[in-house]
Amino acid sequence: MKKKIGKALVVGAGIAGIRSALDLAETGYGVVLIDKAEHIGGVLSQLDYQFPTNHCGMCRMLPLVERDAGSQFCLRKGLFHENIEILLGTRVTAIAGEPGRFTVNLRTRPTWVDPRRCTGCGACVPMCPVEVPDAFNAGLGRRKAIYLPVPHQVPNAYTIDPAACTRCGACVEACPCGAITLSTAERKDFRILVVDDEAIVRQSLQSWLEDEGFAVDGAASGPEALAALEKIEYRLMLSDIKMTGMDGVELLRQAKTLRPDLAVVLMTAYATVETAVEAMKLGAMDYLIKPFDPDTLIPMVARVHEELLAANDRQVEVGAIVLAGGTDYFDPHQQAVNPYGYGRIPAVVTSLEFERIVSGSGPSAGRLVRPHDGRPIRKIAWLQCVGSRDIQCGADFCSSICCMYAVKEAMLAKERGGGDLQAAIFYMDMRCFGKSFQRYRDRAETEGVRFERGRIHSVIPAPDSGDPALRFVAVDGTVREETFDLVVLAVGQRPARGTAELARMADLPLNPWGFLATSPLSAVRTERPGIVAGGSFAGLRDIGESVIFASAASAEAARVLHGAGGSLAAAESEATEYRDVSRQPPRVLVAVCTCGDRILPQSERRQWIGRLKRDPVVQETIFIDRICTAEGWQTLADAVTARQPNRVLIGACHPYVFTRRLRELGRLTKLHPALMDVVDLLGPRMAVTAENVDPAGASDDLPRRLAMAAARLQGTCRPQVEAMPVSRRALVVGGGIAGMTAALSIADCGYPVDLVETGDRLGGNLQWIGQTLDGHDLRRLLEETAARVGKHPKITIHTNTRVRGAFGEVGHFYSTLEGADGGVQTLEHAAAVLATGGGEAVTTAYGFGTHPAIFTQKGFQEALDAGRLAPAALNTVVMIQCVGSREEPRNFCSRVCCPTAIKQALALKKDNPEATVVVLYRDMMTYGFAETYFTRARREGVVFVAYRLEDKPKVAVAGPERPVTVTVTDPVLGRPLTVDADAVVLATGIAPGLPADLAAAYGAVLDQDGFLTEAESKWRPVDSLREGIFACGLALGPRNVEESIATAAAAAQRALRILEHERLPAAHLTAVVRHSLCARCGRCIEACPYEARRLDEELDRVLVNPAMCQGCGACEAVCPNGAAVLNGLSMPQMFGMLDQALG
Amino acid sequence: MALAEETAIELGTMPEAAEALAEIRAMVQPCIQCGTCTGSCPNEFAMDLTPRHMWRLVLLGRTEDVLASRTFSLCSACYMCTLRCPRGLPLTEAIGRLKQLAAPRHLPHLRSGDLFYRNFIDSVRRHGRVREMEFMSLYFAQMMNPWLPLRYAGMGMRLMRRGKVALQLPSRGSGRLAKLFEKVAEMENRP
Repeated sequence: MKKKIGKALVVGAGIAGIRSALDLAETGYGVVLIDKAEHIGGVLSQLDYQFPTNHCGMCRMLPLVERDAGSQFCLRKGLFHENIEILLGTRVTAIAGEPGRFTVNLRTRPTWVDPRRCTGCGACVPMCPVEVPDAFNAGLGRRKAIYLPVPHQVPNAYTIDPAACTRCGACVEACPCGAITLSTAERKDFRILVVDDEAIVRQSLQSWLEDEGFAVDGAASGPEALAALEKIEYRLMLSDIKMTGMDGVELLRQAKTLRPDLAVVLMTAYATVETAVEAMKLGAMDYLIKPFDPDTLIPMVARVHEELLAANDRQVEVGAIVLAGGTDYFDPHQQAVNPYGYGRIPAVVTSLEFERIVSGSGPSAGRLVRPHDGRPIRKIAWLQCVGSRDIQCGADFCSSICCMYAVKEAMLAKERGGGDLQAAIFYMDMRCFGKSFQRYRDRAETEGVRFERGRIHSVIPAPDSGDPALRFVAVDGTVREETFDLVVLAVGQRPARGTAELARMADLPLNPWGFLATSPLSAVRTERPGIVAGGSFAGLRDIGESVIFASAASAEAARVLHGAGGSLAAAESEATEYRDVSRQPPRVLVAVCTCGDRILPQSERRQWIGRLKRDPVVQETIFIDRICTAEGWQTLADAVTARQPNRVLIGACHPYVFTRRLRELGRLTKLHPALMDVVDLLGPRMAVTAENVDPAGASDDLPRRLAMAAARLQGTCRPQVEAMPVSRRALVVGGGIAGMTAALSIADCGYPVDLVETGDRLGGNLQWIGQTLDGHDLRRLLEETAARVGKHPKITIHTNTRVRGAFGEVGHFYSTLEGADGGVQTLEHAAAVLATGGGEAVTTAYGFGTHPAIFTQKGFQEALDAGRLAPAALNTVVMIQCVGSREEPRNFCSRVCCPTAIKQALALKKDNPEATVVVLYRDMMTYGFAETYFTRARREGVVFVAYRLEDKPKVAVAGPERPVTVTVTDPVLGRPLTVDADAVVLATGIAPGLPADLAAAYGAVLDQDGFLTEAESKWRPVDSLREGIFACGLALGPRNVEESIATAAAAAQRALRILEHERLPAAHLTAVVRHSLCARCGRCIEACPYEARRLDEELDRVLVNPAMCQGCGACEAVCPNGAAVLNGLSMPQMFGMLDQALG
Repeated sequence: MALAEETAIELGTMPEAAEALAEIRAMVQPCIQCGTCTGSCPNEFAMDLTPRHMWRLVLLGRTEDVLASRTFSLCSACYMCTLRCPRGLPLTEAIGRLKQLAAPRHLPHLRSGDLFYRNFIDSVRRHGRVREMEFMSLYFAQMMNPWLPLRYAGMGMRLMRRGKVALQLPSRGSGRLAKLFEKVAEMENRP
């Protein structure tokens, strides 16, 4: 029988990878999460602040339903979930197999530092003689060859940079834990062959590599190289591509037949990079672009050396693969010309470097000073579109994120630097197309951030001070010069390094922009079922969108896993019958790990026992050597069984890794895991500097900490909360493409879905849109999706039906549906997805309704499709963007209108090339790959005129038979331009269709524009504030079809998390009510941020839904009577801990 | 499409020019009016329209406005704008085409530049190299401005003192480049 695999591989542990992994783990699948870096978090580990809050908040992504399965821990520091295995420093080297059964080869880089032994004490750092630029601080600081990849990571193990390390061995001697073993592989045994027909290149490479201790030979031609390869066993060949006679590619081919294991790196000129990329398909390992210097060459060779000698390969079998490799950032050095002087003028930095400058963990500890001379920064300029929207550097796309992060950085700088700090953003179009972005941008302008429209072409050092000086054309056409303290280049995104390699291994194509190609209209599915793209790996997305696309990817992966018969990860077999200890006086067994003699020398044990004995609840203190080993753990289990304590306190290291082991211990000893606790005895040394790492110095503190934990444990009782049963059905409200997709995603995983639509047929806006900007047929999508929905055995469709009312909580909502005939039925369901969609906003602006030639975008499309308008008869068409949008009261960007205008303009130009099409816009929001079509529209001769909000276009109507006259001020010419138009098309934007009473019935909240308010716009973008209620598509915010489909899959994934449970288990840390003390004042109900509390009027009691309670303690803080108690963190426990801390 | 508050020539007085302009317009159509060209231009201070302004007029098909300006005639073909244009447009080449478009029209405001170029190249054609004194003499003569030579007198003196130019009388010349010019003209006229 085929073995069932309920496991997925997630490649990339950035924010999207974490989201995907958590999604799948929460749904019950096993996950292997890998990242090639030595830390999780991707680029977000370097970005401390996110708008619109200018804070972090990543922890909101942590599981809400089965909280105890993972550690509730800052996600910037680490991720711990019992279904997730994390492999860092690991990459994929081969993918084979079919959906449901892939075999993936993973290669982990040797770290030389054993993370289980390293305590992060840092004693090795002062010993290390090598200093290199610090990648974590974007090169602004320096670090040693042995370093912490991220200073706040947990567990905080050091790692060695093999490229920088000289193998002097100083760290090995310094390490008190014996955690470091340097590679014994000798470089002189690693023979390298350098092939180049230029003697000078051969000689310099030879001397560089020999200086590093490698054994190197040279060959002047292909045949000479082949002859050498026959004689000597080379491990690596560096070959030029362009050589007379046999070229590098041919040499590669022949050398590979001769020695299949030979690693080959090709050296290429800039012009033949494509050849080199092609050659990688033939088996080349990598390529170097000439000219290069030793700093590029040596790390690469060192990497190849390490990888070949110490490759630690492992094969995993998984049912689905999520590729969430993220993106990289444009390197301004790479620009063919480097007009911004990056690297030459020290006060020109990239946006990532600026993030480090304002970061508290950055090189200046968050003070706004210039990194190179320490001078305070008072005047900053942001230059947009560096490496974006620039065909000259291969970017016919908009990076989508830079406008907003520049605004955020400017706001942060203003916040830090005070009111007189000057911040200016030089932009071409300010692309604030996200839901709350326009208002955030407006706020920045009110707070004094200067927005200057114009592209800066170059930065030169001012002759007197050397500060960066900009020369630019202002909107009025005058050329101005201005000097700044700091110039920040808002660098755009690029496909992640290694994208092409990964795509090749997965046998998937890339799209024209170099990102992974996905299936039309899906953005997560690829050509190969079972391999999906998450986050920004297949496109240009910000955090919130990446999280949505990550969840959409996990929904697709879950579907494949389910379809392949992948069972869920082994569930806890049967409920353990725990000992009832509630009537016993607390007896705490303290087990201290001595970790050799490292934590606790023999001599001090007596002292510790004495200190802990002061608290009579401590039954006994025992010492176990290395509790983390199997023997150590068995010793502990035996001790618990023998002594029968009713509380267990463990003093060890890395407490967050104990979650699963405590459950095991509970099963073995019949003691509930809530009655056990682990104290970190090594953790605080993270903050201790390397100079005072004397274990004895801190030892006074350690028994006290144990005593505090014992005091807390004393008051802990076994949680008396029952798991809530789940009625495992879902309700989807709205039968547009989002609703249908959500219903299918849930139903495909085997759960029944009720799909409610007010209209008489499914389809929503897809009925009129026709096709997307990139030419995908939406009618076919609609037909196919509607057919699948109609045929699906798990989906019940209710057309002509409204949701009349609803009540209930996550796990069991009750919704009342009313059909067209007035018939009413009530459904019970665990979760609801609101996909109520939206429509085109109505308007009376620009003479709409007074002349037959004035249309909205939808009306124009319908008129063309119905043949009421003939493109040939339209000689002049004027399109006006942002009608009633991006200004109060509808101060948001609908993000679909600019691409729609371009789509319609291109279609017109195709049917009638002579037609004049004029688009009047404020900022063209052609974000992402839509930029390509913007370029195309210009190339086709569409005229774009930017207008300002204070000077809107004017539409004059003379009579129904006369053309409409539009007048607008051309900003470049500074003169009014009049156009007599045969048709005027108004982009009125999107109006949401989510009725307030429906949202209120489910406890969801609408924002001021009528869209659903997310629980958190970045970290929980499809959740409502109420657990169990999700939203997708236009109900959530303006989105195009592809994005709406992704939100639908993401919402379905969030619902599946709940549906996968028969019962919703409550976490240990859950609030309860002492009804005898409760005065029913209701303050706790207002204070609860998770709406987990309600007043039951029949029982006259405040009830807590244990599945919704997240254990935050807000209720305990507001309760005047001490009736709200957080199990495990009650007031007596806190006082007990304080007593012990001070005693 | 029309520009309001119009003071220049009416639209459509030079239809054949409008057609020629369409080709130039096609070269610069992807322009996003970012102004990089203006910011990069070393001669911008002397121009009546900034390069961005001029390209905008080209895009709007305003042939007369473009030809009425001196902007394109002041381009010294340094290629800075072409190098920096984020759209990668062949701006310098397009300016060259504008100059070609304007030359046969003998536009009065471009007369000085026209004559300068023409006499320069005629000198090359005749002698196989530039004979500075002859070329300048003919230029002054054609400009018919008695004060003009005075403006160049200082520079001429300095150049003569250093032996860079010598007094020369116009002559038919002995250069053999005429054939080359004829050949090129023949090739360019070829369909």
